[in-house]
Amino acid sequence: MRSSAAERTRPTFWDALVVLAVLAAAGSLLFLFRPRSGNFLTARIVLDHELVAEIELTALTGPVTLEVPGAPYPITVEAEPGRIRIAHSGCPNQDCVHTGWVSRSGGQIVCLPNRLVISVSGSNAPEVDGITG
Amino acid sequence: MNHSVRRLTRCAVLTALALAISVCEGLVPLTVLIPLPGLRLGLANLVTVYALCILSSREALAILVSRCLLSALVGGNLTALAFSLTGGVFALLTMWALLHFRGFSLFGVCIAGAAAHNAGQILAAIAVLGSPAIAVYLAPLLLASVATGAVTGAASILLVRRIPRPADRKS
Repeated sequence: MRSSAAERTRPTFWDALVVLAVLAAAGSLLFLFRPRSGNFLTARIVLDHELVAEIELTALTGPVTLEVPGAPYPITVEAEPGRIRIAHSGCPNQDCVHTGWVSRSGGQIVCLPNRLVISVSGSNAPEVDGITG
Repeated sequence: MNHSVRRLTRCAVLTALALAISVCEGLVPLTVLIPLPGLRLGLANLVTVYALCILSSREALAILVSRCLLSALVGGNLTALAFSLTGGVFALLTMWALLHFRGFSLFGVCIAGAAAHNAGQILAAIAVLGSPAIAVYLAPLLLASVATGAVTGAASILLVRRIPRPADRKS
């Protein structure tokens, strides 16, 4: 295939449109995943489509560590009042550990090799079940 | 030399080149500088662009699929195969479509290809995880793809212009 695109050496007007389209897509995604309000934080730890643990971060009084059972690579989750992180992971790329602490509603930590997702969600008042249960 | 043997040899050489580039890129990951999962310069995409411009879309696809399969074998990571293959096919289709339009230069083609690669990777990750959570990484990846696409675009312009075209179409 001989294309006129292969002959050019300088960016064109249409290239600028491509850049604008990509930036617009990124902007709308940022808007979609913007941090939500809510000061009562709950972290849900999901391993391979199954809910492993649910930690009410705001209700914690001290640090908690959790070895996720059944993960392909050994993984340690550390939760403190109001924040959560993956402290150690045996996975090859360590992206989940580098994500660091997540302390806002809408925050996510993903460990792809382990198929593990920690999502933090927030509500404005603690749920009643959370207190009595 | 026989026409089909020449084609096969050319595809094999380009596949080996793409594999070597992607392995080398893995040795010096960009994620050390910017901790963003899935971020890479995408230099192996240069081979796809070259094949699309100089050879044919069929050969480009064959090179891409063989490269992904071989790099999964070398890296020993089957999950990574799903990501690189989905991303690579998305990028190839996007660049193939854009090359049919007149207005673009290889800058736009490569930026769109890089963005499509990231979108494909994230879609594969959503399918693997069964959760849209990982899409939070897509926005920063798309922003990065403007820069990485511009770099590979500049490189591919040099590549397509400077490397002599294969002469076997005449023979």
